[in-house]
Parts: sequence; structure tokens; C-alpha cells
Amino acid sequence: MRKWLPYLLLVPTFLIIVLFIYYPAVEAFRLSLYRVSTFGNKTTFVGIQNYINLFNNEQYLSSVRLTVVYVGLSVTVSIFLGFIIAMLLTQNVPGTKLYRTFLFAPYAVSPAIAGTLWTFLLNPVVGHVNYVFMKLFGVQVEWLTSKPYAFYALIFATVWKILPFNMIFYIASIQNISGDLLEAATLDGAGVMKKTWRIIFPLVSPITFYLVIMNIVSTMFTSFAIVDVMTRGGPGGYTTNMIYRLYLDAFTYQKKGPASAQSVIMFMIMVVVTIIYFAVAERRVHYQ
Amino acid sequence: MRKLLLLSIVLIFSLVLSATTIQFWHAMGGWRIDFLQSQADAFMELHPDIKVEVQYTGSYRDTLNKMIAGVQAGTAPHVVQVFEIGTQMMIDGEVAIPIEEMMEADPSFDIGKFMPQVLNYYRVNGRLYSMPFNSSNAIVFYNKTLFEKAGLDPNDPPTTFESFIDVARKLTVKDASGNVEQAGFTVSLNSWFFEQLMAAQDAPLINQNNGRTGRPTAAVFNTPEGLAIFEWWNAMSQEGTMINTKFEDWTAARNLFISQKVAMLMTSTSDVALMMESAETNGFELGSVFLPRPADSKAGGAIIGGGSLWLIDGHPDAETKAAWEFIKFMAGTEQQIEWHKATGYFPVRKDSVEKLVASGYYGDYPDHLTALLQLLLSVQSYNTNGAITGAFPEIRTVVTTAIEKMIAGEMTPVQALEYAEKGATQAIADYNEANY
Repeated sequence: MRKWLPYLLLVPTFLIIVLFIYYPAVEAFRLSLYRVSTFGNKTTFVGIQNYINLFNNEQYLSSVRLTVVYVGLSVTVSIFLGFIIAMLLTQNVPGTKLYRTFLFAPYAVSPAIAGTLWTFLLNPVVGHVNYVFMKLFGVQVEWLTSKPYAFYALIFATVWKILPFNMIFYIASIQNISGDLLEAATLDGAGVMKKTWRIIFPLVSPITFYLVIMNIVSTMFTSFAIVDVMTRGGPGGYTTNMIYRLYLDAFTYQKKGPASAQSVIMFMIMVVVTIIYFAVAERRVHYQ
Repeated sequence: MRKLLLLSIVLIFSLVLSATTIQFWHAMGGWRIDFLQSQADAFMELHPDIKVEVQYTGSYRDTLNKMIAGVQAGTAPHVVQVFEIGTQMMIDGEVAIPIEEMMEADPSFDIGKFMPQVLNYYRVNGRLYSMPFNSSNAIVFYNKTLFEKAGLDPNDPPTTFESFIDVARKLTVKDASGNVEQAGFTVSLNSWFFEQLMAAQDAPLINQNNGRTGRPTAAVFNTPEGLAIFEWWNAMSQEGTMINTKFEDWTAARNLFISQKVAMLMTSTSDVALMMESAETNGFELGSVFLPRPADSKAGGAIIGGGSLWLIDGHPDAETKAAWEFIKFMAGTEQQIEWHKATGYFPVRKDSVEKLVASGYYGDYPDHLTALLQLLLSVQSYNTNGAITGAFPEIRTVVTTAIEKMIAGEMTPVQALEYAEKGATQAIADYNEANY
């Protein structure tokens, strides 16, 4: 009785995981080795040909390059900005709680809505951003349809979207730092900059590490909605990142084999990131 | 015991009386969702034994994806609306019952009443696979009020590429620092317009006579005709007399024209009703004209765009029969007239046009007439019947990408056209490899 009851209780969860995660994952691996017709009525085994084609495909390689820059930039910016804003919000200024609430709002907005919002704001003709630019500098920028502005706009919207998440985590961990440490530093004559970057920032490094990983995951995978709504990968494929490329191949061009191969590649990247996370976290998280 | 008897009687009755239920998936968003529902309601009133479940399944591409998933899962709908460029894909997928088969078995149905121009598009290898339903092509709308303001004759819109560039220049207003306050022309960044402008010059897109006489293997649009279009587009973009939108952004282009930021718009004839209404509410006079083409080019015509209704195979005979009744109804004389008036998609039937002409409709609505006449006056050839290949969705992206690179100044028109043709040929090769 005791022996099988726990397993029985696990069955519902397990069933769902198998059905919606393991089965599709295995299927993606399998399909990545095939050439599949639109309706799936003709499949040919092609070995690793799909992968070879991808790495010879200039469009795919450029989407990989773009993803690296996009993820690198937006993660770095949102980590530092998140930390700095969290520092400001832990200074016991009146109204801090109100600020926190307002600043957290973008996180509660879905990526598609965020993209739509920025599309409105950045509209070259009727958008608010261009209105301000026009009044101040007398210039009109085609934010979403010209190079390199489309990329800047994307980074901007992404940072805006993930910043609150980082901010909240930093606020919590900054508040956890013992006041004694900082008092001691003050007595030793450390200035604000020194305390921030030499004491607080190192002390929250486990959180930083966690946030970097989480941000990489979200910029790699959930950036789809923002790209789709804001630029549709344009102009001229310039802002097509890996996840958007995958969507195009899978659902616009109906190339299921190459699309599966791309999802396997993204899976591999995440495996590496996860391994690094666990390896480093095991060694470095115990700081107290 | 008595209860059981009663129950079984009720059961038997409900089985006998139960209606045949069919599903209809379509891609017509906005207010057209209600319109199609009301059409289905009218059908159900005529056929009380058939129940139609109408479902809006997102854009054409979303609808196609859902249907592909549905076919693989065995839950496909009975009737589905597929965009014109999905035709070859549907044929290769072998998931539909060709309409031709149903027609032959149903003497009450006369295909002769349908417009040959429309049938020429949807007939592949001499067989009609799907029921024409919503058909459109591209035309140019222009703002007569802005024409007058610029000192141009509002009844003499440009019809050649050369005069088009010139007129766009005259319609463009820039402020002191060079920012565009009003532009001459806009169009949604969409390969469909490139295809339409090629057909207007009677030039092919892909080999094997646009895929009409055999399996296409390569794109063939890197020609003087193709170059003329790229150069025309590029000239206006570089001069700043044309505003470009982002990839396939129909709404943006439409809004620029409606808000009178732009004086000329190339868009689908399915917008005729919307444009007439918008012009009235925004206080300007609307004009419409056929697609322009280079002065020295061959006369061609318009390609059919839009969608058609497909009968998906694998359902019980009774349901398939009901679905056939439904699509016959949707392509019926009265339905097509209502559809035409409400949108601008032209009727796919001759008898609908006959009735409209007799009622004097086109005298009151000249822009509807422009749309229809462009189609009727088209030269009928493989080039104006439209290219047919399953690789079309990808070809469209390749062509728009090339145009984007050109207007960004990264490529010259010559380079962009070469890039587009190469990419399109690759897409065809990929499709052929996977599907044959």
C-alpha cells in the first residue's frame, strides 16, 4: 500500500508532463532528422542534413548573430538598470512603495501587449515618441522600419519589459543585507559608490547570477511576441532572432524538419546554460 | 420500466431529428465575422436539417496552420477558407475533395455561371479543386481633393510608372527642415503587389508558365519587367515621395491614406467599401484607377487574390453532402452580391454581375466598377492567371525582404531583384524536395 501510493499520486502530473512536454520534445528530435511535407503525408529520413543546411544558411546564421547581440545587450542593460533602480528604491524616500508598484507594472503586461504599446508609441506619424523628438529636435525617426533603429526599439521594449522582474529581486536581496556591514564600511570611510559596487553588488551576486539565467531564457524564448508585433523580423530580416526564425520556418513556410532542428539547437543552448547554472550555483551560492 | 421506455423513445427521436452538423473555418476578421455568421444563419433557415458551426480561426496563415494540425489530428473542419497561394499546397496535401468531383455528381450546379477569370486562377491542370469565394485584386485609390490642391487634374490619375513618379512628386509636401508632411504614395509592403504589377505587364513569376503547365523549378522574375517595378518603387522611396510600411502592414498603409497623409494608395479591391466610407467621413473625394505600368510595357491584367472554400475529405458522406450544399450557397448569386457590396471583393459569378449592372449599382458606385473592370479587361494568359506553387508563402517573404533591403539603400534595384529571384528559386527547390 505504502509503496505504490506515492507513485499513484504522481501519475496525473507525470501524465501531463509526458503528454505536453516529453512527447513533443522527443517528436521534435525525431522530426529534425526528417524532411516533412506540408501536411505531413510525406516524410523522408535525411539524417543530419537539416542541421548542415542550417549552418550553411546565411539567414539562419545572421539570426544567431542577432540573438547573441540582442540577448547580451538587453540582459546586461536590464541587470544594471534593475540594480541601480533597486538601490534607489531602498533609500527610504517617501512614496517608495508607490514607485515600486508603478515600476512593476510592465512585468504584469503580456509581451504581445507590450509590443503593441510600443508600436503605438513609436509610430513615425502619430506616435508620442516621435512627437517629442519632433518638438525637441525637429527630426522624424522611422523606429520600426529602418536600420538600426528597429533593433534599438526592440532592445528598449525588451528591457522595459524585464526590468521590473530584476528590480523586485534586487530590492528583496538588498533589504536582506545586514546593516552592520554597511555601517562598518561607513565608519571605515567608504563612500556611496564604494559601498554600492564593492559591498552590495558582490553580496547580491547569487541573485545577479540567477537573474542573468532567467533573463537569458526570457529574451531567447518569450521575445517572440515582441518581435512579431513590433517589427515582424524586419526591415529585411534585420531583427529576425532565432525564435522568430523558428516560427517563420515552422508556421509560415511549413518547413517542419528545419524548424525542429532549430528547436533542438535552442534546446542544446539551454542545456548548456542550465549546466553552467547548476555547476556555478553549487559552488558559489553559499556565501553566508 | 416506463421511464426507461420514455427515455429510449426520446433518444430515438432526437437521433432521427438531429441535424447534420458541419464546421466552417474562415479567416475574415473584424465585422466580417458577423457578416459570415449571418450568411450561415440564412443558409440554416433554408436547410433546417443542417447546422453550420462558423468559426473565425485567425489570419489566412493561422487558419491554414490550424487546418493542417486538424487534418493530422483527425479533427479537420468540413469547409475551410484558404488563401489563393495555398492552392498548390492543398492539392499536394491530398486532403480535400476536388470541387470538380462534386460538380459532376450534381446536375443542379452550373459552373458556366462563374467568371472565367476567377476559374482560370483556381483551375489547376484543368481541374477545379476549390469553390471560388472571395476574390480581389489590386487597384490604386487616390485622393481627388489633394490632387486639386496640388494643381493636378483630379480626373486624370497617373497610369504609367513614369507619370506616377512625377505625380507623386507634385503631391509631396515637405516642411522647412525636409520632413515629409504629406507624401504622394504608399503601399503595404507586400510581395502581392509585385506579383500584381508583374501581371499588369504580362510577365511571369516562375517557370513552367507560372507553374501552370508543369511543376515549377525556378523563379524567373529577374527580367526587365521585374526591374522596372523595383526601380519605380526605389525611385519614389529615395525621393521621399512614398512612405513605406513594415512587412505586410495593410492597416498602416490604409490609415496613412485615410488620414490624408498620403494622396495615393495601392491596396486590395476588397477595401473598396471601406475606402468609400472613410473618404466620406474624412471629407475628401475618392478616385480609383487601374494599376500603373511602364509606358512601353505589354498590356497584361490583374491576378485573382483572396481565398476559396475547400471541402476537406474524411467526413461521413452525409456531412460532406451538407458541406457541399453550404459552399454552393456561399458562392450563390445573392450571397455574392451582398458580399461584394459589403466589402469590395468582386462577385465570382456572372449572374451576380448581371443583376448588379441591371440594378444600376455601378452608376452609383464607380469605384466598385473600377475594381471589376480591371479584372474583366485583363488579358487572359498564364501570366495573368497567376503563379502556382506551394513555396509561395516563403517567396513572398523573400521578395519583401529584397524590397526592404533596397529601400534601406543596402542593395541597388538590380542586386535586390537578383537576391529575390535566387531566394525564390531556393524556396521552390526546398518545397519540391519536401513535397514530391
